Amino acid sequence: MQGIIRTIRDGSGFDILLLGLALLYLIIFSAFPIIYNIIMSLQTVDMFTLTSFNRPFVGLQNYYDIFSQPVARTIFWNTVKFVVLSIVFQLSIGFGLALFFQQDFPGASYLRGLFLAGWIMPALVVGAIWKWLFAGDFGVINYVLTSLGIADDRIFWLSDPNVALYAVIIANIWLGIPFNMILLSVGLASIPRDVYEAAELDGAGAFERFRSITLPLMRAQLGAVISLGVIFTLQQFDLIAALTQGGPADSSNVAQYWSWQFSFQTYEISLGSAVSVLMIIFVIVVAAVYVRSTRHEHSY
Amino acid sequence: MKRVMKWIAAASLFISGAAQAEPVTLDIWTIDRPDQYMYLLKDEFEQSHPDIKLNIKTVQFRDMVNDLARATATGESPDVTYIDNPEVALFASRGLLLDLSPMLAESKVIKKDDIFPGPLSSVTWDGKIYGIPRGANTIALYYNADMFKAKGLDPDNPPKTWDELYAAAKKLNDPAKNIYGLAFSAVATEEGTFQFLPWLQMAGGDYNKVDTEGGIKVLDFWGKLLDEKLASPDTLIRSQFDSTGTFNAGNAAMAISGPWELPRMGREAKFDYRAALLPIPQEGATRASALGEGDNVILAKSEHPKEAFILLEFLYSKMPDVWNRFGFVPAANVKSNDPKTPAIYAVFEESMKYARNRGPHPEWPKISKAIYTAIQSSLTHQSDAKTALGTAQKQIDAVLNK
Repeated sequence: MQGIIRTIRDGSGFDILLLGLALLYLIIFSAFPIIYNIIMSLQTVDMFTLTSFNRPFVGLQNYYDIFSQPVARTIFWNTVKFVVLSIVFQLSIGFGLALFFQQDFPGASYLRGLFLAGWIMPALVVGAIWKWLFAGDFGVINYVLTSLGIADDRIFWLSDPNVALYAVIIANIWLGIPFNMILLSVGLASIPRDVYEAAELDGAGAFERFRSITLPLMRAQLGAVISLGVIFTLQQFDLIAALTQGGPADSSNVAQYWSWQFSFQTYEISLGSAVSVLMIIFVIVVAAVYVRSTRHEHSY
Repeated sequence: MKRVMKWIAAASLFISGAAQAEPVTLDIWTIDRPDQYMYLLKDEFEQSHPDIKLNIKTVQFRDMVNDLARATATGESPDVTYIDNPEVALFASRGLLLDLSPMLAESKVIKKDDIFPGPLSSVTWDGKIYGIPRGANTIALYYNADMFKAKGLDPDNPPKTWDELYAAAKKLNDPAKNIYGLAFSAVATEEGTFQFLPWLQMAGGDYNKVDTEGGIKVLDFWGKLLDEKLASPDTLIRSQFDSTGTFNAGNAAMAISGPWELPRMGREAKFDYRAALLPIPQEGATRASALGEGDNVILAKSEHPKEAFILLEFLYSKMPDVWNRFGFVPAANVKSNDPKTPAIYAVFEESMKYARNRGPHPEWPKISKAIYTAIQSSLTHQSDAKTALGTAQKQIDAVLNK
């Protein structure tokens, strides 16, 4: 007994204890749900058999069913567009703002803090506000566009199948910018000033300094922000639920919302699980990139 | 340790002893807020039945099916719950609800024959009755009589056929003043199916037969309303409540929705609003109307089925008051006590006679999804009405023939 206490207090037992706690946590809250989800995606599951493991095993039939749905193609490309466009704009605008607030002007840090307001708000609230902005007949955006003469006629942002997906993407970009900006600001602040001064003395212009100092030294942060962005974007559910619910006619439907529709609208829980397993596989790949990029961080 | 066990034994003895003397407590699930139906009736019931107590829990409407399914799987289901009409078959077909037929046969309060055919069919599965409608609702055409007068239409003679509806919508439509002719909902949820089915049934067809000439006619008609902007393009994403909101605000001259709109309409609509039966395809065509609202059911595992049925009888006996107190249309042939907005009440009461149930089918959500998907893909011109309905029919057949 004494020996155990001693090793836990200041021996290898302490390490094992810490490791054990972390592992236990991961197994209960991450591994178990993921494995349970994978099992469900290989079975026929409805609401009434959720609690028992004894369900008919159907192999990859659920995956086949998903891909043979006529909307599968639309949803795949919608998801790609949703993720890629969201990330590209969140990152570039966020990076631009981070560089802007890096400049020394009065109130810079306060204003930067204020930007977080958007990130703090729940996505459902953000969705409700954007819904008012986007509203076809009486929306603020349409009012501005038509009174400035930019658009001749109202744009039905949320009910025009050619536009709805982009409306959701615009709202999602807005929502993600503050997070990108803050993380990148932290990265920018950690770059030593003297490197820039040395470069300036050697005659490097502003663009040259950005290209050969800022970008390479921000590699780790950029990698992290991009991978977290992919994960957050694939998690984005509330905004879609609040704005278009995937409609009209699935024109703004994306994988995560589709999975929810299967599980909770038509109660085809195994199909919903199959969609989410495919998403998990993709996220694992992205997470691997993220882990690599943070490992890079320690090396300098 | 031993002492603890003793304590527990003593405590449990005490509790079971006390329970015998105490009244029966029924666990009730409802979708009501504390100012609605079940909560308002709780006190009245407990006063007239001192031996039965009610323990009410509110479940969100959209979570009800999931929560109830999980509860029945883990054995924590309530004694009595609300279930939305089209979902009764799902639970009844799995033997999770109590067959009320024997108790109903002896009941002095509930007469099966008084219940309207639509509501009755919604609680019937395989010839047995599994629930008692708590009320009903259906849809009708609301119209702004002031706008009718302003545009030279006769407010005492609202549109009766689809052609008349189209003509009226066209006349009332006034983009310069932000007024659409008609507001309705073709949203991609159960609500879209709910609004569409009566049109299909009037034109020939039903939930199990959608790829009909009539079905194409409905979708083409709806498409015409949207394409000519007689109804807002947002019809595709607006719920019935949101659509009718534009009517209340004076931005639509007519609206198709149900009696649940009336409390808000009374507060917000600053004009003479009236209601008419849902227009029919042409003179002499059969009428149909949607059937909404839900039912009170007893779970098969309930330990107090007798007391639960007493509660159901009590709730049913309130049918003459449901219009005034809760905004439901009576689901049975009873005389309402001095109904508010009598003219509109009369329209909904007549409409109720034509109300048809959705289904019943245990996999109703899949059928419904096939239908609202067809509506949406046709109205957005991703496919023509015929193709869209053909696709839906295939999906529906796959569900029905399983």
